[in-house]
Amino acid sequence: MRQAPKYSVVLAATVNGLTPILLLFSIFITLRGHNAPGGGFAGGLVMGSAVILRYLTAGPAGVRSLRFDPIALIGTGLVLAVSVGLTSLIFDDAFLESAIWKWHAPVIGDVKIVSSSIFDVGVHILVVGVVMAVIVAFAEADDEMGGRT
Amino acid sequence: MISLLLAHFAAAAICLSAGRHGARWALWLAAAVTATTFGWLVSQSGDALDGDGPTTDIDWIPQLSLSIDLRLDGFGLLMGLIVSGIGTLVLLYSVAYFGRRNDLGRLAGLLIGFAGAMLGIVWADGLLTLFVFWELTSITSFLLIGFTDKVPAARAAATRAFLITGAGGLAMLAGFIILTTTTGATTISELAADPPTGTLTNVALVLVLLGAFTKSAQFPFHFWLPGAMAAPTPVSAYLHSATMVKAGLVVVARFAPTFATEGPWRWFVVVAGLASLLVGGFRAMRQQDAKLALAHGTVSQLGFLMVLLGLGTAATTYAGVAMLVAHALFKAALFLSVGVVDHETGTRDMRRLHGLARALPVVAASVTIAAASMAAIPPTFGFVTKEKALDGLLDAEIGAVGVVALVGIALGSVLTVAYTIRIAVGLLGNDAPGASPDADTAPDADLSPVDPAGVHRPSLGFVAAPALLAILSLIAGLAAGPVGDWIAEATASLDPKTAEKHLVLWPGINEALLLSTAIIAAGVALWWFTRPRTRTVDARHSLATVWYDRLYDGLLDGARRTTALTQSGSLPFYLGIVLTTLAVALGSALIAGASDSITSPRFSNSPVEFIAVLVTGALAVGVVFTRSRFAAAVLLGGSGYALAIVYLVQGAPDLAITQFLVETLTIVVFLLVLARLPSDFAPAPEWAPRFARLGISAAVGVTVAWFAFSASEARTEPSVGQDYLALSEPEAGGRNVVNVILVDFRGFDTMGEITVLAIAGAGVVNLVRAARRQQRLKRIEDGSDALPDEVASKRKIGVWR
Repeated sequence: MRQAPKYSVVLAATVNGLTPILLLFSIFITLRGHNAPGGGFAGGLVMGSAVILRYLTAGPAGVRSLRFDPIALIGTGLVLAVSVGLTSLIFDDAFLESAIWKWHAPVIGDVKIVSSSIFDVGVHILVVGVVMAVIVAFAEADDEMGGRT
Repeated sequence: MISLLLAHFAAAAICLSAGRHGARWALWLAAAVTATTFGWLVSQSGDALDGDGPTTDIDWIPQLSLSIDLRLDGFGLLMGLIVSGIGTLVLLYSVAYFGRRNDLGRLAGLLIGFAGAMLGIVWADGLLTLFVFWELTSITSFLLIGFTDKVPAARAAATRAFLITGAGGLAMLAGFIILTTTTGATTISELAADPPTGTLTNVALVLVLLGAFTKSAQFPFHFWLPGAMAAPTPVSAYLHSATMVKAGLVVVARFAPTFATEGPWRWFVVVAGLASLLVGGFRAMRQQDAKLALAHGTVSQLGFLMVLLGLGTAATTYAGVAMLVAHALFKAALFLSVGVVDHETGTRDMRRLHGLARALPVVAASVTIAAASMAAIPPTFGFVTKEKALDGLLDAEIGAVGVVALVGIALGSVLTVAYTIRIAVGLLGNDAPGASPDADTAPDADLSPVDPAGVHRPSLGFVAAPALLAILSLIAGLAAGPVGDWIAEATASLDPKTAEKHLVLWPGINEALLLSTAIIAAGVALWWFTRPRTRTVDARHSLATVWYDRLYDGLLDGARRTTALTQSGSLPFYLGIVLTTLAVALGSALIAGASDSITSPRFSNSPVEFIAVLVTGALAVGVVFTRSRFAAAVLLGGSGYALAIVYLVQGAPDLAITQFLVETLTIVVFLLVLARLPSDFAPAPEWAPRFARLGISAAVGVTVAWFAFSASEARTEPSVGQDYLALSEPEAGGRNVVNVILVDFRGFDTMGEITVLAIAGAGVVNLVRAARRQQRLKRIEDGSDALPDEVASKRKIGVWR
């Protein structure tokens, strides 16, 4: 049996401060993807790395406290993405044909939403779920080895 | 029409999603849907019989010329009434049969889903529409046979039935595809309007018939049907006697008037039908389980109907449809009666039952009438229709095949009379507990007789369904004239010539009646003289089942051996195979079509790129030479980062971002795995000496590099890149064309990729769960379930479910 590793307090504090920024940043990357480098896959990976950091600093207990079921995340993402595609089918367009909504909001200025952005959000959620699934596998292995809890 | 079908499937979804909360309301809901369908069909009957029934034609996938074509003609109306009418009765009967259970939602959902699929079959005009609903009934039948899923025998029977009917369905699909591609017709009515001929058509028809034979349990595919009796009795009554097994007959009935004269059709149908008729009849004589005896009887009678409907003359088609109605009525009545007996006495073994005629008077009356109809004894509907069938066969001028059919059916009918009497007497008539064990009885058989005084009295609602069906068998016989005219109108949609046909209760003394009398006399005699033996004999294993099991086991065994041979479990071995294949396939293609000009790749002339390429290469070389796993992982990651810089310099920021992120996560995961492995690489396997490994690596490296260079030269069409650039903003509203390609232009690809990703993620989670379950089981076996309560309680939340 392995020795219980000691977690670095400095790393833990840094990660604690960094996590909200990472989460926000990942959403930003996903949403900007339509017009600038980024997108759902990259955004999902950034958010996934936040999960990994939490595992590295807080161990299995840290992941457990997130209370998200990876399967539920994966399913939500997939359903979201598929339903965007199907919606455009219903409106007699090709599968995943984009619809574009624009309106002028009072303070923010011109807002433009493209249906494929929602598709990208689905990809984002799904990728987070997959990363989390992998991390859960590691956390589980830790539990079974009776090591860090 | 489509909304009615959708209502069935919606009701199925509601019932199924009720899960453990499903109770009797689910059965009531399902019954309401089928009753509504019945009412709608009655309201449409006038139009449908005149040939102006509603039709539906919905484009489904127009690119593949797939559409949903439904039409309500006379025959569809008749079958629809049977499906929804008997469905309603069976569902109401189930309320009493099952009492309070928590899986009724599943049962009701599957039954109503099946009813929808079955209506789809009988209303379908499009060939592919028919196939889709056909497969749906196979699936619901599979789930219903295996409804008691904790019983291994039920699961095996369900699998057997599914594989047989599924294989037949595929054969039928192949037949449909041949017909569609050779003629361009996509619907049955188009085929009938302009029937194709020739060898290819014959092949297609044989394939379609194979599908029909498997579904309608025709010899040699009949053996799945007795196995299907593992399903609860209401299910058996509905699917495996009254409706689903008629699907094959429906197809034959729709095709026969057009194609019966074509090639081998008639002989094929007559041989399979007669074989089923006789084999089913013989085996029904040997069964002691009343339900199994009925099931073999069903095989036998489906054979009879197959011959009638398959011959395709106007008279036999008409008689076949009338008999089909008669069969649905009396067979459902008998099955439901056996269900009542089983429910109230706890057994269906005819050796144990006696004195039930007094204990269960309503059931006894129902069984008597329904059995009379099955044995074709006047004045039941079974007699009327059998007369018509014999009449039709006697008059059919179709040469030798007609004579063979007539003789076979006469012999089969003798058996039918004999086993019918045997079942009826076995259920009700034994005065004293029948049998003492003899040499043929299985040693562990429980033969203790059931005490008639202790039999529970069924409620009126419970016996209402079989009684109603039996009474209908009688009324339809007494009112043969009007019923026959109505059926004639309905059958006219199959073959217009049947419109003039009639049914009569008393035809006067003629050839058919004499033949009938002889058949009944011979049947009674056969029953009487075989009685001493058939009262005690135990059913043998069906030879067909034995052969099927042998084939199935052999297939699985072969698969296991093949897997053991190819899946050695050695990672270097797999990699060697994959990489060698890659090098050989790609390399030979390159050599065959080698382009003369290989231009040098485009460099950006930036010093950053030069350095990045150097670093990528150097780190990759390092990976090869280090002995430490840790160092290899880090070097590999570094190489990936350097490559990301190359992307960036070449002007692909999206690619670079993704590369960076993937590389980062990969390194972390690598290191987490490596923490659990020995620090150094394992020594190379003996079968792969150094030169072989070097050779494979070099070959792959050279081929891939060569491929990359020549691929950029291989373009023959103008790039779509310009179009994408131009269309990105106006069409998809995005300025980042890479992203727009991913989520819009090539969105289908992304869809596929994330689906793969989702499956992989779900796989990881389930592997973890499976491993945990096994470890836990092991601990429980050891008697030391070491998980403290605290951990166990934590696991109930979130990811730890």
